[in-house]
Amino acid sequence: MGAYNTISFDANKCDGCGDCMTACATAKTGTDDKARSRIQIVGSADDGFELALCRQCGDPKCVTVCPAGALTKDYASGVIDWNGDKCVDCLLCTVGCAYAGIALDEGSGHVAKCDTCDGAPACVPACPHDALTYVTTSRIYNEVGDWEDLFAPGLAGCQGCNTELLMRHTLRRVGPETVLATPPGCVPGMGSVGFNGTTGTKIPVFHPLLTNTAAMLAGIKRQYKRVGREVNALAIAGDGGASDVGFQSLSGAAERNEQILFMVVDNEGYMNTGMQRSSCTPYGAWTSTTPIGVGSGGLPSQGKTQDAKNLPLIMVNHRCEYVATASTAYMEDLYDKLDKAIQASKRGFAYLHVYSPCTTGWRFPTDQNMEVARKAVETNFVMLWEYNRTDGLRFTRPVDDPLPVTEYLRAMGRFRHLSPDQISHIQAKVVENLAFVKQMAQRQSA
Amino acid sequence: MTTAILETPSQTKPAKQKVILCEGNEAAALGVALARPDMVAVYPITPQSSLVEHVAKLIADGRMDADIVDAEGEHSVLSVLQGGALAGARTYTATCGPGLAFMFEPYFRTSGMRLPIVMSIVTRDGITPQSVWGGHQDAMTVREVGWVQVYCETVQEVLDTTIMAFKIAEHHDVMLPVNICLDGNYLSYGTSRVELPNQEDVDAFMGAKDVNWHVALDPLRPMAVDPLTGGSGGKGPATFVRYRKGQCRGMQNSLRVIEEVHAEWAQRFGRSFAPLVEEYRMDGADYAIMTLGSMTGAAKDAIDEAREAGKKVGLIKIKTFSPFPVEALMKALDKVQAVGVVDRSVGFRWNCGPMYQETMGVLYRLGRHVPSMSFIGGLAGADITVGHFHRVIEATEKLLSSPAPIEPVWLNEKD
Repeated sequence: MGAYNTISFDANKCDGCGDCMTACATAKTGTDDKARSRIQIVGSADDGFELALCRQCGDPKCVTVCPAGALTKDYASGVIDWNGDKCVDCLLCTVGCAYAGIALDEGSGHVAKCDTCDGAPACVPACPHDALTYVTTSRIYNEVGDWEDLFAPGLAGCQGCNTELLMRHTLRRVGPETVLATPPGCVPGMGSVGFNGTTGTKIPVFHPLLTNTAAMLAGIKRQYKRVGREVNALAIAGDGGASDVGFQSLSGAAERNEQILFMVVDNEGYMNTGMQRSSCTPYGAWTSTTPIGVGSGGLPSQGKTQDAKNLPLIMVNHRCEYVATASTAYMEDLYDKLDKAIQASKRGFAYLHVYSPCTTGWRFPTDQNMEVARKAVETNFVMLWEYNRTDGLRFTRPVDDPLPVTEYLRAMGRFRHLSPDQISHIQAKVVENLAFVKQMAQRQSA
Repeated sequence: MTTAILETPSQTKPAKQKVILCEGNEAAALGVALARPDMVAVYPITPQSSLVEHVAKLIADGRMDADIVDAEGEHSVLSVLQGGALAGARTYTATCGPGLAFMFEPYFRTSGMRLPIVMSIVTRDGITPQSVWGGHQDAMTVREVGWVQVYCETVQEVLDTTIMAFKIAEHHDVMLPVNICLDGNYLSYGTSRVELPNQEDVDAFMGAKDVNWHVALDPLRPMAVDPLTGGSGGKGPATFVRYRKGQCRGMQNSLRVIEEVHAEWAQRFGRSFAPLVEEYRMDGADYAIMTLGSMTGAAKDAIDEAREAGKKVGLIKIKTFSPFPVEALMKALDKVQAVGVVDRSVGFRWNCGPMYQETMGVLYRLGRHVPSMSFIGGLAGADITVGHFHRVIEATEKLLSSPAPIEPVWLNEKD
């Protein structure tokens, strides 16, 4: 399977100028007749603009309804090709397409559709507002879809949790020559190590203690190195075990530059055991050990009273081989970092910190996981960056015009009780954290 | 009369062994080197420190081929070795006192995973009161955690037992971690003449390494290690029970294996140590004193003097404390009418020494009343002298005619 490329449209940036249509008409018909353009910008019901363009669908209805075999999906490029020699001009395809992506070109007397100009669409650079971008829609799926999923079906995560997809994608990327450590928490809780003789993992997997994941992995990795075998040592750990009670062994292994890939799935608390506070829990958040109440001595209890520990920054200060933050709302960014982390772990300690919104513990609807993850980044509550010793720290998805943090906070129940003062505190912390990381990004570039 | 028989070389007499002068910690390190572990993890703590320093130097000098991990604490030391053992490594470390306490979480788990890790405990008294000096409180505190624990009397025994410990731990009928306990200060720093076995002879004694045949983290043999067991019903609790029962069986098997390995050692290297329980001058003894570790030397001197003075007293030394050698001790105790037990640590719950506590259980099994009493000495580095042992002998002798005191006797209280 190859890449699935298509042209993406941002309606918020479009002012309807029609430059894209002119460019397309010129490229495809040699005229400037916008009516003959295969991309059509049309007015929408809310006074904005909509796009009529072939989506190069994965399950194309135009192909299905064509009685002449004139339309075919090229599964290598993703593009749907039209063959004029076969077409009988019945126009059934124009009815089959829900996007008005194929239409009669009166100038030629046949249907016409976008063929992406062989990968260099003329419309995209013509747009003066960057409303059009040429994107690879399913790169990850196409690349790894055929690789074996090294977890068994039926892991029992909470509905809407992104940890399962993170685990499956990570392990199939790291591959079968791996020993996987999953310290107590959600990852083994959903059955990766298993219960009473069953297991959810197809490769060697174990429960370390909550406290000694990095140390045990170091021992495993060193012995395989000693006998000349290439075996990956991978941890998928929670934030609690990594930032609190397991921090000593994590720090020690990083200092010794053990050849480990240590991934922390940060759901900002001990969610598997009933949503207790960890040192990664943010200020103001409700947890079962930072509950909301009238309090004693006239001081109401309003969630966690301390700011979160920034574990990935602490790992940067270990001068690890590679450190990065990532989010499942930005999978390509995550994959890029995963690849770098895997390579780095062959030289030394690699640390990947992935934010994992918890539907159960953060209290939001189960279909909102990616939205919450995205809002965290769009508000700069979470920043996506990477670090290595040569290039220092750099933002991979800088957000220059962040949304107010309330856009993130209001997406979930754990912040529902916040007072205006608490919200101000969190907003100020976001600004402070951003300034701090920016300073590191400038200072640490070699 | 001829001495020819004694002078005839035996077919199995080992090659001449090099004689050196060294402290107990160095002897332990030399024993470790001879046993050829793949991986050693270390964190220094008094009075163990010179042991791991010796190991590090042996590796640095190329006299020992092992991966050394300078971990950031004892908790990680044992955790690194667990990982190493699961990947097939022969592994070793040493600790004591607060270090052992900090290590407790993975320590408990080592025996459950049946990992044959070998660890010296250079015994140190428990804090607090704060102390860096010798005493058995650390090792005694973890006596119920499923590790095999043997106590040494001399520096030579430290060296020899360190090597034997690997063979005992890795025996397929045992597959349990082993502690070699050597008394902090008295054995750790005590310097004496030691015969150093030849590497080829030790290699022949050790045989092939086979550490993770039963549990492994290896992509060639994928398995889930230590999944959750237990629960209120179904097969979970039964699975847990079978694990535990297997541990107990391994402990009991180790009694036989310890004896076999000591016998083989004596045959190959010409040095014989009582594997479980040593009986010293017990022939015709009316009563006995019991000892553990390096204190036994002074105790034997006292016994010799008492025997010369006509007292019918013998000595029983425990070498293997865990598993407790119930049958061997019953056999020894069956010879006497009274016993005094000297501990180098305290049992807080019974107000007596821990070894005394264990001995009371064995006495019950004898089926007849044997008066007994507890002595506690040598805490926090205190010396238990020949004079102290004469007091022990006199007090124990009184048990033959007077009721046994309930309170322990604290030997060094008025030193």
